[in-house]
Amino acid sequence: MSVEHVAFVVAAVACISGAVVASTHRDPRTSGAGLFVMLLSLAVLYATLAAPVLAGGALLVTFFLTVPLVVHAAPHEPDAGGADAPAAGRIALGAAAVVLAMLAGAIRVGEIPRNVSLRSADGYDLAGLASRVTGPSAVAVGTAVLLLVAVAFAARAARRASR
Amino acid sequence: MTTGAYLYVGAVLFAAGALGTVLRPTVWGRLVSTEVMLAAATLTFAAAGTGFRELDGQIAALVVVVIGLAQAAVGYVQVGQRR
Repeated sequence: MSVEHVAFVVAAVACISGAVVASTHRDPRTSGAGLFVMLLSLAVLYATLAAPVLAGGALLVTFFLTVPLVVHAAPHEPDAGGADAPAAGRIALGAAAVVLAMLAGAIRVGEIPRNVSLRSADGYDLAGLASRVTGPSAVAVGTAVLLLVAVAFAARAARRASR
Repeated sequence: MTTGAYLYVGAVLFAAGALGTVLRPTVWGRLVSTEVMLAAATLTFAAAGTGFRELDGQIAALVVVVIGLAQAAVGYVQVGQRR
């Protein structure tokens, strides 16, 4: 088992465990801690995918958003629980099973390429990414930047309004 | 590693987030669950982009990260106002 495999298995297990805790735990602090673990392990998964920009983005979200959110905004009381939770949970699990079956079918048929290892990625193409960002994907990236600016202004306005 | 392994992790993450979205009645619970679903979408984009040797997947993933940031900022304000 290579280092890459070990990193993937550890990060995947941590990521799934964190996501399950974040989504299902009723205590807001524990749920926030699960989200924190999930985002950190997600950064490791991006790194194993040879996507350091995304790994950096995940770390930025973790430290500049998740931690403040958990520390300042998490409500103190646990959830009361949904009225029709079991039925909704069964529907969600059924939909998840269908999606997993479709994914397994696509992989078996060969619709999805087999390898994403660091060795087969031929390094990280930063120049290629920059040319995409300034070329064909310029509108999408520009919109994302505008969205970031709008979020910053909205957060500032909300903070002023709450004073 | 195989592309499928990453896609399976993304699918399980998305299912966990979807489950939390329908199970938890509070704004906080749904906010966190939606973050989990967006993270799953990002991982799927990144894995598919790397698997197909296309950088478009990473750019799409970056856009989803920004959308997740915006959504979390709105949720931050909402949860803060309800306290």
